[in-house]
Amino acid sequence: MNKAVEVKNVVKVYGGVVRALNGVDLDVDEGSVYALLGPNGAGKTTLIRVMTTQLRPNEGYVKVFGYDVVNQASKVRELIGYVPQEVSLWSDLTGYENLLIYAKIYGIPKDVRKRVVEEVLDFMGLKEAANRLVRTYSGGMIRRLEIASAVMVKPKLMVLDEPTIGLDPSARKSVWERIISCKKEFGVTVFFATHYMDEADKYADRISLMSSGKIITSGTPEELKALAGGDKVLLKVSNVSETLSTLSKLNYVVVSKVNNGEVEFIVNRSAEALPKVLKELMSNGVEVDEIKIHEASLDEVFIKLTGRSALQEVGRIKEVISARRMIRRGG
Amino acid sequence: MVKTSFKLTPIFAMAEMELRRLRHDPLEIVTRAIQPILWVAVFGTVMARVRAFPSVGDYVTFIAPGVVLQSSTFIALAYGIMLVFERESGILKKLLSTPIPRSYIVLGRSLAGAIRASTQYVIVLASAAAVGARITNNPINLVLGYLILTYSCMGFTSLSILIASALKTRERFMGIIGAITMPLFFASNALYPLEVMPPAIQALSLINPLTYTVSALRTLLVVNTFNILNDFLAITAFVVVSIAAAMKTLNRIIE
Repeated sequence: MNKAVEVKNVVKVYGGVVRALNGVDLDVDEGSVYALLGPNGAGKTTLIRVMTTQLRPNEGYVKVFGYDVVNQASKVRELIGYVPQEVSLWSDLTGYENLLIYAKIYGIPKDVRKRVVEEVLDFMGLKEAANRLVRTYSGGMIRRLEIASAVMVKPKLMVLDEPTIGLDPSARKSVWERIISCKKEFGVTVFFATHYMDEADKYADRISLMSSGKIITSGTPEELKALAGGDKVLLKVSNVSETLSTLSKLNYVVVSKVNNGEVEFIVNRSAEALPKVLKELMSNGVEVDEIKIHEASLDEVFIKLTGRSALQEVGRIKEVISARRMIRRGG
Repeated sequence: MVKTSFKLTPIFAMAEMELRRLRHDPLEIVTRAIQPILWVAVFGTVMARVRAFPSVGDYVTFIAPGVVLQSSTFIALAYGIMLVFERESGILKKLLSTPIPRSYIVLGRSLAGAIRASTQYVIVLASAAAVGARITNNPINLVLGYLILTYSCMGFTSLSILIASALKTRERFMGIIGAITMPLFFASNALYPLEVMPPAIQALSLINPLTYTVSALRTLLVVNTFNILNDFLAITAFVVVSIAAAMKTLNRIIE
């Protein structure tokens, strides 16, 4: 498989003191959805800004489809569509005008420009609102318009920095539906930064966990959750000793607690493993009265590996609040 | 990939963005015009009665081009605040990741700022004419005057972008702009002829690009000739240097 992005030992130091990136390595396969997950201040935005040719790394290199972001920056810029964390629209222009100006800046030829803009507005569900000033848009509409401006140029790689920050759950869902349909429609590779565990888990093919300027670990969501030690399953059963003897024969199950008619065990991918376990138990005459499942979360992996939660908004809460306010106001 | 064709379209797109913005919200043009209208209508007519500078002929006519410049350069010099805002929002980050050369961002935005500033030309000249200034009605001179003003304002807008890139916050930016606008105006030939100035101010006014732009406009609109080559060269030197300097510092704005 071709690499869409190759990041090798990247170091970025701000003003000679702040080491925002401290030796980052990662590879993004072409056509995949890749999440960079970590708390605020982890270095996600800095990595994205290096990737999108805005900042030069102090050490290491980043290649986008084989092109170096420093030496072949203009080639890289032709391949990417980018949505920064903050609002990147002129709020005193209409949605249509914003896309028209960006279409001209990107050099979309005159004869197709109008059609491209209208199609992408329709695709993003913004046809009705096209002629309203962006400052009247909701946060979700603003994000969809920004994604429209990124897909309009038919990029090979979409880079999204916190695409759903500050949005309510239904707006988050609708933004993600559009991103996924862009991926399906155009086969674009998607690279996004987030501090929402659930989004990385649900939409990414691969995830890198980032903390203090370093990638702590990478893998598929399943692989990462397995690092947390698997899911915990608690069964209330009719016959504890028979249950224990049945479970001891299953090599993918580890019993962790036995207590008053309850047996707790740990298993990877409980959704697939549990039916098999239950079948074994029933064939040995054990009745199961109650099941409680506690699925391993990416946050548990994060805590296990770094000693702190990815959900903590370390020291930069002010910035997040102002970013949210800006999104609500529309710039 | 959509086929990209690079010409000057992105530069004009930024100017178009500014015009569309003005169409949605023309209030700034009107409010900015109040002060210059007072300069010509009140200050100009009062000073004309005093006959302080007999060498300049009709005083309202004399200061009309100067007041156009004062008003336009103020808008042009304030334009950099837009980039400070866009630095805080994501617009600059996005522009820097588009395939256009970074020099286009400076060229496009200085043209945009200059177009916004040039709106004062029509308003101030019309008000000056209304209080009796004798401005030429030769359309070629009027159009040339507009082009010279816009051209010169590109230099002032670039200067503003340069200051915005160096200072980065709106407080520091507004402080500096407030501090240089009036001195620029007073150390020029906008309100009084060069020969009445004390030698130190006169020397300052000779390196002030405002002086050459006022002089060019005066030649075109009041004297009604095309004898502006020297002024044009001086303005060109200023525009080229400020655009080049702004291009060099733009990268610093996002760090």
